[in-house]
Amino acid sequence: MKPTENVLEIGDLVKDFPGVRAVNNVSFDIKRNTIHCLVGENGAGKSTLIKILTGAYARTSGQILLNGEEYNPHSTRDAKQKGISTLFQELNVVDQLTVEENLTLGMEDTTLGFLRHTDKINRMVSVMNNIESSIKPKQLVSSLSVAKKQIVEIAKAVAAESNIIIMDEPTAAISESEIARLFTIIKSLRDNNVTVIYISHRLDEIFELGDYVTVMRDGKHIETKPVSEIKDRSELIKMMIGKTVFEQYTPREQDCPDTILEVKNLSNHRLRNISFDIHAGEIAGFYGLVGAGKTELARAIYGVDEYEGEILFKGEKLKPSPDKAIAAGIALVPEERRSQGLFTILTIRGNVPVMNMRKISRNGFINDAKERNVTLEYVDKLKIATSSIEKEAGKLSGGNQQKVVLSKCLFADADLLMLDEPTRGIDVGAKSEIYSLIRKLSREGKTIIIFSSELPEVMNICDSIYLLYDGNLRATLRNNCDCDSEKILHIVTGGE
Amino acid sequence: MTTAKTETLRMQLDRSANVRSIIKQFYIFVVLALIVLAFSVMKLDQGGMFDRGQFLSPDSIINLLRSAVPILTLSGAFTLLMISGHIDLSVGSAMSLSAVVYAWMVLNGFSFLPSFIVTLVLGCGLGFLNGYLVTKLRITPVIATLVTLSLFKGLALLIVPDGLSAIKGSAGQVMPDWINFYARREVFLGLPWAFWVAVLVIVVLSIVQRRTILGKYAAAIGGNRLAAELSGINAVKMVWLLYIIVGFFAALAGLARASYMSLGDPLSGDGMELDCIIAVLLGGTAFSGGEGSIAKTVVGALIIICVTIGLMTVIPAYWQTVAKGSVLVTAVVLNHLLVQDKVKA
Amino acid sequence: MEAKEIKHLREPLMVGKLSDESFITLFMLGILAIVFAIASAVVPNFYTVQNMLNLVTNNWFVIILGIGVTFVLITGNYDMSVGGNIALTGVLSVYFCQGANVSQNSLANGLGLPYLVAVGLALLCAMGVGAVNAFFIAKLKVPSIIVTLGTMMLARGAAQVITQGAQRNTSLPDAFGVLGSLGIPGTSIRISVLVMITLIIVAYIFEKKTVFARRIYLIGANPEAARLSGINVGKYLTALYILSGLLAGITGILLASEFKAGVSSRAMGYEFDALVIALLGGVSIAGGFGSVLGMFVGAIILSVVTSAATGMLLSPDWQFTLKATVTFIAILAQRFALEKRRN
Repeated sequence: MKPTENVLEIGDLVKDFPGVRAVNNVSFDIKRNTIHCLVGENGAGKSTLIKILTGAYARTSGQILLNGEEYNPHSTRDAKQKGISTLFQELNVVDQLTVEENLTLGMEDTTLGFLRHTDKINRMVSVMNNIESSIKPKQLVSSLSVAKKQIVEIAKAVAAESNIIIMDEPTAAISESEIARLFTIIKSLRDNNVTVIYISHRLDEIFELGDYVTVMRDGKHIETKPVSEIKDRSELIKMMIGKTVFEQYTPREQDCPDTILEVKNLSNHRLRNISFDIHAGEIAGFYGLVGAGKTELARAIYGVDEYEGEILFKGEKLKPSPDKAIAAGIALVPEERRSQGLFTILTIRGNVPVMNMRKISRNGFINDAKERNVTLEYVDKLKIATSSIEKEAGKLSGGNQQKVVLSKCLFADADLLMLDEPTRGIDVGAKSEIYSLIRKLSREGKTIIIFSSELPEVMNICDSIYLLYDGNLRATLRNNCDCDSEKILHIVTGGE
Repeated sequence: MTTAKTETLRMQLDRSANVRSIIKQFYIFVVLALIVLAFSVMKLDQGGMFDRGQFLSPDSIINLLRSAVPILTLSGAFTLLMISGHIDLSVGSAMSLSAVVYAWMVLNGFSFLPSFIVTLVLGCGLGFLNGYLVTKLRITPVIATLVTLSLFKGLALLIVPDGLSAIKGSAGQVMPDWINFYARREVFLGLPWAFWVAVLVIVVLSIVQRRTILGKYAAAIGGNRLAAELSGINAVKMVWLLYIIVGFFAALAGLARASYMSLGDPLSGDGMELDCIIAVLLGGTAFSGGEGSIAKTVVGALIIICVTIGLMTVIPAYWQTVAKGSVLVTAVVLNHLLVQDKVKA
Repeated sequence: MEAKEIKHLREPLMVGKLSDESFITLFMLGILAIVFAIASAVVPNFYTVQNMLNLVTNNWFVIILGIGVTFVLITGNYDMSVGGNIALTGVLSVYFCQGANVSQNSLANGLGLPYLVAVGLALLCAMGVGAVNAFFIAKLKVPSIIVTLGTMMLARGAAQVITQGAQRNTSLPDAFGVLGSLGIPGTSIRISVLVMITLIIVAYIFEKKTVFARRIYLIGANPEAARLSGINVGKYLTALYILSGLLAGITGILLASEFKAGVSSRAMGYEFDALVIALLGGVSIAGGFGSVLGMFVGAIILSVVTSAATGMLLSPDWQFTLKATVTFIAILAQRFALEKRRN
């Protein structure tokens, strides 16, 4: 078979979710034996596209040609057999097995079920050792660093003779020196006839590594061109943000002089020495890309994760536990809506009042009428679209689920409301409703902290913007004075 | 400054992790040695299990090992299943049912080989059912096997005729003598076939664990099921197979019990699931699966046998349940301290 | 007025279809009707008032246990220690009550405490067993099935030690037998049955009306979201296991009083029966789903099936097989019915 010039050709690809078109008529080609970068903001449709390629999602319409042939994988396993391996953000190695066992997992040579030590193992080990010689084949994977586990996964993909390897944010959890090492590896993969599809939010990496870059925005394909034809970061950034006009941010009329939250020298496994003050009544935004430490910061303040350092709320030291945080007047809308925020098998009525049961009960007994009225009030207030408050929360659309989680936190009557990715995966209409709600709450005197990886979101509603990169607080900006989106993207993608 | 501090902290953690892993490696052997030592210096009852009241006399050891046959036969396969992150609470009942079926066949004139084979095939069938419920119908392993515990036990009771407590010889029907050859007649070093078969089973299963894809896949499924499935492993098939294997060895253990007692007691396997869990936990297999060692489970099994039988001679029999319960709780605590620590990190 | 208008607009929002829990309860009620009809047709003397009454009253102990087990199951955990706990509490209540130094026989000597004190202490011990469960499950995060199987052995074993493997039934004060023998004159309804009915009603109100119960469902539905919503999961698990222990303790005391004896082998396998009736009633081990009323229906179904089997002169050995079969059928039927309903 004569190898085609393009290893992958994507044509008119569409993927619909209820209420959202996540991938909208995307067409582009990926050239054989190149490093092809995929960039775009959160919600641009990258991950959905990748999930279609790996067989996790079925496309709505369109076609994909792999080596010139129709490609329609029905599972990740199937995709792998057809030559496309993926390094997901979560590592897929078995900690309890040795490196060698992981490399051969699922591909063993056996006689009557007995493992045979064949050349294949040696070949795989030597593939791995060409990549990284310090990993010993008999070592337990649990003893390896994250970066080295990643290398084991890469070696496994290479040894399985994949001709396309997709890497989703492979540098999110590893250190600078390890990143340099990884890049050398990726380049050598290309030289050994492997096509790499590389997804990253760190734009410097694109310039250092990429041959081609595809930019996506709002589910649409914007541009595919050789990296060499792109002048600099700012050109790339412009393509990513497009001509999106930010909804005009209106500067706050009066200042907020009182400090409500003080964070001093906060450090933990992801955060490094973070200090800042939040003033009562303001809307603060923490912006950073995936893996920058936003969620970890929110969880530390809320007392879910352990930390070193000190957090003062209204002048008093916070005890690290969510129930104490709620009692003190803090509420969190967590990042993962379905697994951390919502009780999907319970009704809307079962969800809304859970963070403040005292308000709908007397002496421990629930007042049904109050419960219903409160739920109805929030259904009205947040315009939750549902036929009944007795509907299971898990059956609502993403935006309405998020509104239920928001109602839950609003009902907690907190003075400080923390929202982690409040608009992830929800449609534009619901988004703007949530923004106006946030503004309204702020006018009512609530303090709000938003943790987001969507720049327009932060620029459009936050009074002050905090930029995180790799667990560090890199800059603090007042909105509308010295903010421009290019400068911000420059900082959060690792620029000085 | 902070980095330096974190660094020292990490080194301390590493060191304590090292110490812990050494303790984890060897503690169980020390525990067994201590228990044996304790019983050896104790004054034990004359007669009965222990020859001249000595724990370490050849006859005493032979007696101990003979009573250990069922758990030695079964606990290896049980370990493999736990490594894959699954549990089978029906093993005791499967044992009883096999014992009853075997005794019934022997009593009704079948010769050794057909009875033997039918019993083992039955065991595989019981395991097949458990595997089907867990993997195909996706009923939680605990519930599925608790209910089959009741099912198998009920069947065993139904086979035993009304008015009798077990399948055994009576005036009308004589139980052939040879039924106890397998588990009683001395063939080598004063120990019967059943014991040597159990030793063989342990050796074979240890090899299976280390040298075959079954052992490896069990660990992979228990360690990270998603990764295993992404690597192309058919987890459903593997887990199902493991249940069948456990059923097979439960039958072999039941058969040994029936042969030892020359009768088929429908309650003879009661509590075996707990003995197996204790042995496995003492042996350091994680609750959640992924790692474990059959060799260490065997040591754990010997500890239970020593404790229950050794104690029986110093204190009255009615202390046995408490003793076993305490061993289980101790096993849980040790397991928590030594194995589960990684979960937190 | 405007408020009235809004209320009027809202009304449609307040109407929900039947909740899945009520649906399953009704579904099992339907199954109960079918099973009952078949049993009445097939089994002689089944369709009598006395027999129908017996179906409820003969199972008071399992139903009391079932209340605790149901709530524990709703959080996604097991409690297999209740059977052993009954034996222990019964034996302890006897031991505390027996006269001190009244006989040569050590099994006839107790502590000589007044009956009420004895009962109080025994109940404390029963709750202690629950507390031990809770410590291992909530603090050390050990799987509940392993922990409670262990405490089952410890509790049963302690009962065996106190009774030297048999029972204690001598030198008891007259007060000891009162609870177990009193009842409504002219009927088979004794205090224990009244206790069961009271507890079911209390548990039903508790389940539907209290904040505490609501949080149990939240924990079962999504433990992580529950924690992030400020629910102290460990605290609630602890309270539930202690409650389950207390219910087992009450059962143990009533049984001991009824038989005027503390028997170490009492209530063997009751933990399994309690689990079975909860499963028959539609409680899901996946958590967050189930109801006391469902469990009650499950108990009656089991009772109909077992007593029909007895009525057809099947040997008592049939009960294990029957229970297992009925449970599997129920689990699969419920799953099928729920899936049908959801699509």
